[in-house]
Amino acid sequence: MYRAVAVARPLQRTLVRRVSTSFNSHGGGGSMLEGYTPPTTSPANDMIAQLAAKHLDRLSLKDLIRFGRPPLTAQSLLTSARITREYLPVRLSRRIRALRNLPYIIVSNPNISKIYNNYIESLTAILAFPANSLTNLTEESKFTELLTEIVKTHSNTIPVLAKGFLECRGYTTPEEATKFLDHHLRARIGTRLMAEQHIGLHLASVPQPPTIDVPGESYIGTVDTELRPAEIIDSCASFVGDICELRYGARPKLTIDGNPDIMFPYIPVHLEYIITELLKNAFRATIEANTPVPITVTIAAAPGPPDAGGITIRIRDQGGGIAPEDFCHIWSYSFSTFNGSRSSIGSGNSGHLDDLCDVGTDGGDDVMSRFTESAGALETSSIAGLGYGLPMSRAYAEYFGGSLKVQSAYGWGTDVYLRLKGVGLDGL
Amino acid sequence: MSAILQISSPMRQCISSLEPSMSQAIRIGSHAKVLRSQLFPTTAPTTTTKINARHLSSIEHNPRWRASGVLDSYVAQPAHPISLRQLVFFGGRNLDEKKIINSANYVRTELPLRIAHRIRDMQKLPYVVVTNRHLSEVYELYYKAFESFRRIPEIKSLEDNEKFCEIVKTALQEHLTVIPSLAMGVLECNDLVPSHELDRFMNVILRSRISRRVIAEQHLALTDTFNSPFHFPDSVNHQPHDFVGEVFLRCNAREVVEQVGKHTLELAREANSSNSPIPEIQIEGHLDTTFPYIPSHLEYIIGELLRNSIQATIDHHTQLSTSTSSTTPIHLPPIKILICHTKEHIIFRVSDQGGGIPIAELPHLWSFAKGPRANNYLQNFSQVPKMAATLQELQKTAHTHSRRESMDTSLSRLTSRPPNLRLGMGLPMSRVYAEYWAGSLELHSLDGYGTDVFLQVSKLGNKCEQLNLDGV
Repeated sequence: MYRAVAVARPLQRTLVRRVSTSFNSHGGGGSMLEGYTPPTTSPANDMIAQLAAKHLDRLSLKDLIRFGRPPLTAQSLLTSARITREYLPVRLSRRIRALRNLPYIIVSNPNISKIYNNYIESLTAILAFPANSLTNLTEESKFTELLTEIVKTHSNTIPVLAKGFLECRGYTTPEEATKFLDHHLRARIGTRLMAEQHIGLHLASVPQPPTIDVPGESYIGTVDTELRPAEIIDSCASFVGDICELRYGARPKLTIDGNPDIMFPYIPVHLEYIITELLKNAFRATIEANTPVPITVTIAAAPGPPDAGGITIRIRDQGGGIAPEDFCHIWSYSFSTFNGSRSSIGSGNSGHLDDLCDVGTDGGDDVMSRFTESAGALETSSIAGLGYGLPMSRAYAEYFGGSLKVQSAYGWGTDVYLRLKGVGLDGL
Repeated sequence: MSAILQISSPMRQCISSLEPSMSQAIRIGSHAKVLRSQLFPTTAPTTTTKINARHLSSIEHNPRWRASGVLDSYVAQPAHPISLRQLVFFGGRNLDEKKIINSANYVRTELPLRIAHRIRDMQKLPYVVVTNRHLSEVYELYYKAFESFRRIPEIKSLEDNEKFCEIVKTALQEHLTVIPSLAMGVLECNDLVPSHELDRFMNVILRSRISRRVIAEQHLALTDTFNSPFHFPDSVNHQPHDFVGEVFLRCNAREVVEQVGKHTLELAREANSSNSPIPEIQIEGHLDTTFPYIPSHLEYIIGELLRNSIQATIDHHTQLSTSTSSTTPIHLPPIKILICHTKEHIIFRVSDQGGGIPIAELPHLWSFAKGPRANNYLQNFSQVPKMAATLQELQKTAHTHSRRESMDTSLSRLTSRPPNLRLGMGLPMSRVYAEYWAGSLELHSLDGYGTDVFLQVSKLGNKCEQLNLDGV
């Protein structure tokens, strides 16, 4: 009770002030429900509105690699920090603005209000860091530390938001919830990437103690300029295969054909996330259809320089396809079709959609948390069986101009087409 | 080159007798003139054919003014759509005189009504579009058909019906030029009107054209069936009752694919040099799938898809082996066709390894009014005098032994089109055909590798009567 009120109070005085750290200890959302007072309008509204109204360019892969290969000069690193310092508040403010425009009854939900407060806290923290102090590497290091903190705070946003919307499903339509979440998670990809990119550049440019994982030589921040899709597919397949063996006692075969040697520049964590989601669906369908036919992954590289042309990955399974009545829901967050009976999620003949999410919930074992680790800062798709793997994957694919398409031949199998645009590496 | 030499004799005459661009212009010009003098003998032709052919494309054909009262009264009435199931059951078993006459009168009243709606569509297009030489030809053709059909008195006897069928056959034949004219007109108007508007117009007018031809040909076929109920010269594998007029009750998916595959491979052999390898076609999936459909539609779509896949596979791998200057003989990966039978649909998936489609071309793939390559296609069109958009036109007329031909519908008496002639309208046309009976056509390109196309057709036999799938 007291804590919750304390959230709003410092904000009322001034936004540019570090909010009490007791904030982080909120924890288990449900317990906050009783007597919880949602944040009230703060005087900083104007500031948030001003920031949110600022022009923002869409983040592109080209922007991410503009400083060239690390190690960066002190000058470049400071420029990167200053740009991040300038635009991260704009992005955070836009998220806050979007949340604020939701109906009161939804933001009052403890889960959603927790996320809202996270954003307020992060914005407050970054604004408290004086922009003009970023003139030397000591300050830059402090700033990077702050970014790391912010990234960590927000790592679980989507599952919590989705849970909140699930709890609020009586007060909003599935379409509205889906629209908000879709927009939010897309915008969020850019916000996180902006912070993570600077962190990555920092780690590769400033000497680090041996305990810290430093990005490999082919990396520019979060971008791997020599990413091999086949390697990622192999490692994701082995990970998903492990889950399948645990849960079903079976491990479907997978073959890769087309152009498995191709390298192209992309963000590995994004590709890992997408491929894991797609393989979970394909593996589960293959096991449930009890077919010995292996899953075939075809990697196609557009003609021309491999770095700029982009790639298409087709994942073809013979796991029976998706029933037409389920097909129209594959891009919704499964809670939006949630009809009250818990068992209708993640089981039944729509198994394709909810993939292996039950592993993490009713299975109670540790598999999903392993996944969390392997996917780094990306959240797992499956917490609480909210099944937003496909829409989330499509959001990642589309973020840099790619696409994700699913084609089902019901009674036979499913083909998924993932197209990703690369970025020209000229001049690096 | 060899392909040109191998095309059928009517085509050859047409091409050799005239320069391509000239031939088209003169043929159409004189044709239109004949039409007008037939219909309106007292009026002088509004166009002149004396103009230098090189400038013809920019010539406007001034539209004739007509009192719109009659047309208005037709446009005020809605069309009466029909479902494939209605086609099967109303025409089907126990065909008697009364049914034939009812069918004739339905077609007699429905055709001018549907044409009237399309004429009004055209009238609403910008002046600059309708005065295009190709489109104004279509407009005149439609108006002529409207005027002639609306004047036919009620059909009361089988004799009346015989006369009526002759008129219908003539009209179907005359209207074979509509598709190339529309396509060329739309390509020429590419710069004048946003292409999405032209595409919308094309979709509407082509759908409507299919609908009219389906009811007209269904009636012709019913009449034929009535006249010789058990005479199906080429129906070795099928019992006569598999056909109900134009509708083929039991369409066997694998047989259609195999038959079309055979033909398209033959065409590919003729179009490409004799030592060039030809890919194999492999069929997998639910191989004993049967369903009711209009085979000429299915054959057309599958034919266009296979034609694309075969040529792409040959071109892509020939190019690959040239660029690597390898001496080993080229091995062509097979084209794989999946037939998948679901409760309500049949899905055909055509997968090739023909190199896919560059991203830049994808936005124009489904457009009739394609921008960048419009001129190439226009040139090719000038070699196609008539096109009914069926598979048969891809075949050499000399040796078609198609089951369809034996049925003697106007769809089977077709002019051929050189198989390697690229018109850029196979995919958009196929999509119109697929969507016509509540199906779909989707394409996924793996740029640098190959293409997958998914054709989904509805199992119409299972649809209830109320479904108006007929896009009138």
